[in-house]
Amino acid sequence: MLMARPEIRSIDAGAFPNTLPLDGIVRYDMRVNRYRAGDIVVREGDYGNSAFLVLQGELVIAGSPGIPAEQLGRIQTHREGTFRRVANLWRNSWVPEVRDVDRYGRRTGDQGSQTRKRGAYLQDVPAIMRDQDTITLNEGTLFGELAALGRVPRSSTIFAERPAIVMEIRWQGLRDIMKFDHEWRRKINDLYRGAALRSYLRQIDILSGVSNEQFSAIAKHCLFETYGTFDWSATFRRGKPDEPIIASEGDYPDGLLVIRAGFARVSMRYGKGRRTLTYLGAGDMYGLDELYQAWENPNATNLQLRYTISALGYVDVIRIPVTVLEEHVFPTIKEPDDPSTGALQRNVAEDALMEWALDKRYMNGTQSMVIDMDKCIRCDDCVRACAATHGGNPRFRREGPIFDHWMVANACMHCKDPVCMIGCPTGAIHRSIEGGTVLINDDTCIGCATCANSCPYNNIVMVSIRNRQGVAVIDTAESGQPIQKATKCDLCAGRPGGPACVRACPHDALSRVDFRDFHVGTMD
Amino acid sequence: MINLAHRLIVPLILSVAVFGALWILNERAAKELGDPAIVTGWFLFGTILFLGAYNVRKKLAAFNVGPARVWLAMHIAGGLLAVTLFLFHTGTLWPTGVYEQILATLFWIVTFTGFFGVAVIVTYPRRLTDSGVEIIFEEIPGEVYSIRERAEAEVVACTEKYGESTLADHYVDTLDWYFRRPRFYINHLVGGIGPEAWIRSHGDAVRRYLSADETPFLDRLLALAKQKTAIDRQYACQDIMRKWLVAHVPLSVALIGISVWHLILVYVYAK
Repeated sequence: MLMARPEIRSIDAGAFPNTLPLDGIVRYDMRVNRYRAGDIVVREGDYGNSAFLVLQGELVIAGSPGIPAEQLGRIQTHREGTFRRVANLWRNSWVPEVRDVDRYGRRTGDQGSQTRKRGAYLQDVPAIMRDQDTITLNEGTLFGELAALGRVPRSSTIFAERPAIVMEIRWQGLRDIMKFDHEWRRKINDLYRGAALRSYLRQIDILSGVSNEQFSAIAKHCLFETYGTFDWSATFRRGKPDEPIIASEGDYPDGLLVIRAGFARVSMRYGKGRRTLTYLGAGDMYGLDELYQAWENPNATNLQLRYTISALGYVDVIRIPVTVLEEHVFPTIKEPDDPSTGALQRNVAEDALMEWALDKRYMNGTQSMVIDMDKCIRCDDCVRACAATHGGNPRFRREGPIFDHWMVANACMHCKDPVCMIGCPTGAIHRSIEGGTVLINDDTCIGCATCANSCPYNNIVMVSIRNRQGVAVIDTAESGQPIQKATKCDLCAGRPGGPACVRACPHDALSRVDFRDFHVGTMD
Repeated sequence: MINLAHRLIVPLILSVAVFGALWILNERAAKELGDPAIVTGWFLFGTILFLGAYNVRKKLAAFNVGPARVWLAMHIAGGLLAVTLFLFHTGTLWPTGVYEQILATLFWIVTFTGFFGVAVIVTYPRRLTDSGVEIIFEEIPGEVYSIRERAEAEVVACTEKYGESTLADHYVDTLDWYFRRPRFYINHLVGGIGPEAWIRSHGDAVRRYLSADETPFLDRLLALAKQKTAIDRQYACQDIMRKWLVAHVPLSVALIGISVWHLILVYVYAK
């Protein structure tokens, strides 16, 4: 069926190598989904790893003001009142993971995972159509490619107003087709260029001085590249982390690399190994200094790249060609600083923490729990405080890798690149709109463990839930197995004063840190 | 240590201010022919209640009652203030009268355990970190058992492979004692190297009777003993970091209770 579609038929199958035939991609990376009226195809804020092509029927994008969060199955982080907190002093159970099981049956709204087999759905589609500004996606429309390739959250909710048939293509398939089919590559790049590139480039400092015409020329010539694997956590967990080289020390630079998503390591040869100088995240650039020097000193001969850049798992970059920079950008900027100057003034011992943190991929964490073991008296007040604020169940373990006297405990780090959120079938794990905290909606979690298996740091724990009588809740309808839920640190969402673990530490040993700030702080 | 000292600056200044206020009130009471002991007594009792409130704060994790690190600094400074107030109130280290002596005994024990606690929290975390091993206290028995099993497996393997019971006999006579449970508790607490010396001497004692083939088994056994030494150090230090509270907290509750009775007696008989 799919091979007969004009979008697939138009692909030149001969351009694909024998090891990666087009029909193989269609067979293994594509599938056909049938949606009923009200079914949600993608949900605003979700992280996804696939794009979609409308094969039959129409889909609807919910525009302004947007579908209410509770209809999308999100947690509403209401501030917990004083009376409720007082009541919890007595209500916290000694039995682990007690739930009000009746609540699952009382839920209203989308969520349908308990009552409908397939995904989530919206109940009152006519009301949504009446209250929302909507855009219709017709047959043949490709969507979701930005989130799939760029590792960014879905920007809007798309649902079926009437029954529709949609092709879903995994990011790997999309990447391979783009690699070998010029037309698909052009189409997807044009979509990105039209949708998000300009606003993204506008945030880059060195482009702030260019005119609108020059800006359009820059945007037109940008190239989009992806390195590493989207599901890097799988190889990382197996102890064989991927770190593909993007550009090597000694190469001649042909463009400025701007990191769009993910992380990259900048390193140089040092002895028989490689020394990390810094790491780059979204918005950071690589190669600017060398390119600028080459432009300013056209007769110089030693203008190769001085450092190697490699993808820490997965990285999505925009390459701005050197000719474009020379024509439109360099005349408008001052000579850039060498970003590695500070790094080279430090000795390797001072950077050992950064090397360790990058090897462990901790640069991903925005709220990593770091414990200074020289201050920690192992009293577990942090664990007790966590349990006291989560119904008697601690949401982290006071153990984890130690470097020098810093322990990174097994608590959710609320990652910049939350791989745990990819593939959640009900969208139960999501980022809160208020603070960016990664939360799990217990009501819509179906216990599939996709998030727990994806987390590179083992910070999500699957637990068997119990009813108020302390009896394990069994899935009597289907498997006969205990019902499981995913649990993790929620940064005490809805409770005043921030994470209870930090407030409970009498010795100022425990803190929640962004690793980039933390590394700089420890050097100070 | 430096961090704690920094955190103590403001609470200590506050304590001095409280003591200054008490001094003024005390002088005024003395000039007005009042009862200065009542003033100092209430200040002392208030301070003791405040110190007790730190333990209540631990139960209120869900409430935004201020960071525990601030509470601890206030608790330590408040403890120093309480000692000063106690001396000011009683005018002696050891009062006369049985009831007062019970009260003073409790006060000094709580004070001593408090000072001991401060010494513990300043000293032992660093010592534990330097041991190079980190283990949750409750997991220590399991880890000791695991090390012992591996040690016994080495001994059995050596005996089975070479048909000699020299190492096994030595293990049963000496090393088994070491692997059986955490040892050298006090030595670990004072930072001694007793365990290392013990292992070395008992290892050396049997080495000369072993063949070249058996020696690697002894080396692996001693490596396991070294591993257990680190676990023992964790056990001793973590244990003392918990146990001092077992004396400090209940006795402080008793002190508050007896102080209340002391107040009642004072008001009943002072009239």
